[in-house]
Amino acid sequence: MIKLSGIEKYFFAGTPNQVLALDNINLQIQRGDFLTVIGSNGAGKSTLLKAVAGVISVDAGSIKIDGLDVTAHPEYMRARDIGRIDQDPMASTAADLSIEENLAIAYLRGQKRGLARAVTSQRTGYFRDTLRNIGLGLEDRLKVPVGTLSGGQRQALALVMATIARPKLLLLDEHTAALDPKAARQVMEITERLVQQYKLTTLMITHNMEQALRFGNRLIMMHRGRVILDISAEEKGKLTVAALVDRFTSTSGTVFDDDRALLA
Amino acid sequence: MESVIINALQQGLIFAFMALGVLLTFRLLGFPDLTVEGTFPLGAAVTARAIVEGVEPLLAVLLGALAGGAAGAVTGIIHTRLKVNNILAGILTASAIYTVMLRTMGRPNTPLLAYDNVYGQILGWFKLAENNYNVILVLLVFAVATRLLLGWFLNTDLGLAVRATGSNERMISALGVNTDNAKLLALVIGNFLVGLSGAMACQAQGFADIGMGIGVLVAAIASVIAGETIFGGNRLGRLLTSVILGSIMYRGLLALGLRLGLPAEDFKMMTAILVLLVLCLPSLELRKRLGGVIPGLRKDKKTMHPALPARPGFASPTADQTCGATPSRREMEE
Ligand SMILES: Nc1ncnc2c1ncn2[C@@H]1O[C@H](COP(=O)(O)OP(=O)(O)OP(=O)(O)O)[C@@H](O)[C@H]1O
Ligand SMILES: [Mg+2]
Repeated sequence: MIKLSGIEKYFFAGTPNQVLALDNINLQIQRGDFLTVIGSNGAGKSTLLKAVAGVISVDAGSIKIDGLDVTAHPEYMRARDIGRIDQDPMASTAADLSIEENLAIAYLRGQKRGLARAVTSQRTGYFRDTLRNIGLGLEDRLKVPVGTLSGGQRQALALVMATIARPKLLLLDEHTAALDPKAARQVMEITERLVQQYKLTTLMITHNMEQALRFGNRLIMMHRGRVILDISAEEKGKLTVAALVDRFTSTSGTVFDDDRALLA
Repeated sequence: MESVIINALQQGLIFAFMALGVLLTFRLLGFPDLTVEGTFPLGAAVTARAIVEGVEPLLAVLLGALAGGAAGAVTGIIHTRLKVNNILAGILTASAIYTVMLRTMGRPNTPLLAYDNVYGQILGWFKLAENNYNVILVLLVFAVATRLLLGWFLNTDLGLAVRATGSNERMISALGVNTDNAKLLALVIGNFLVGLSGAMACQAQGFADIGMGIGVLVAAIASVIAGETIFGGNRLGRLLTSVILGSIMYRGLLALGLRLGLPAEDFKMMTAILVLLVLCLPSLELRKRLGGVIPGLRKDKKTMHPALPARPGFASPTADQTCGATPSRREMEE
């Protein structure tokens, strides 16, 4: 279980440009929950994910994973428990290394790395099975440098890398936003499959309201650094995109200012 | 001509250790490590002092290499712990090394011809005469062993973490690697090799001199680039071997130039221009050109990096095509 209490994050604190990116965030995520996160531009969604992952430190509040307070831990110390994928397909895989090397690195997520051979036949056998599971044919291209893959293939590989060591929490920050519609659909399908198969606790930011309603068992909406809506599975099932926008407008008092969200 | 070949092999193999070290830091880690200009003569100076003190040559060479590794650690600590920019960290260490060298040797130059050297020592074990060919043989064994060891290391879990740190620091940090430690480790290994190079050099030439590091970095970079461009391939092992070949080729060209009567004082300028040209030519252009000259060079042959100019440390990964022979932006922003 993940528990965020009273999280605050300022940027440019103490200057005229001060931004309160996270404003008293309190959130409990149960094991197996699949949360989708939506919100206007600059609402603080990415900042929230980065704070949970430890990429940035917070100014107040605490982050607990299974009761362990990790607030002060840097990213690499939380890595064992948290898998994360960024919007940028370049960010979550190493272009210069081959598919099997990338997987070998991810396979030891958060563990000590020693002088054992990284790519063993035993591991490649496992990698092949895991890749076959996502159905893109990558299992036959284990030695190919990742830099030569398409954006969609890289994000799919990133998903496999993020989940191969079964993290306690999977963080997805608009991981399909940079892909063309077909690849985006494919990567979303793989996401859903892996999350279900491994029963992963997941936090997924999306700009696509329809996606936010279709996937997951809980939806939160952020605005100006705060969680302004928290919608449960039953309620979510009945909502439409139009109704969701109305809820946003009435709760935040502003018009939903994200054109991308409505287009999709 | 025979002397040219002997020279190319001897010098090329001696400097191959350095080229491998530079490959590790500059190319694989993306860390423009200027320590090496100091590490090279430091390896020689420490070895020379040890020899004069009566230490066995092989042990003396090992001490020289270890001193190099220590210098790498200093740069690594200055950069990762004290958060000093990577180039400046290297410059600071290289500068401090001058004092260390002078203190170690007690003077700027130590002649070693009167002492046994590492080549004679090793050849003596096998009752072989110490002549040019046998010296090359010793160097070759050392170089092959280094190549194999480095190849093994870079394919271990730890070695892969180091390479991933150079390729995508954000990613590997998210996978639980302390990238500071990865950089430190690579700097130690890289500078160990450069120190080894300096140690083997002073043993071959019969003296150690604090000035012997001037220009060696550019030469090593030239060797790495030449080797990768001409002999390199997709695989890491191929890349390591190609760098050794590149070093031999580069030293061969220098020896040939000398033989043909080119003035030695122009070599550093020529090397610098050569490196600059290679960096500024987009890889395909260069390959096309070379492909016309060198038979068997396929135009579409891929390097480890999809785009050759995007060598971290040699040119900015984002600003490929430009003559950005500066450290990558990512490094500068740190
Ligand atoms: N590194 C940073 N430095 C300064 N300000 C930042 C930084 N990162 C985010 N911010 C600010 O914090 C606020 C929240 O940004 P964040 O990226 O979390 O928004 P978001 O909800 O992910 O938006 P988007 O939908 O556009 O991705 C914004 O006002 C942004 O300008
Ligand atoms: Mg964002």
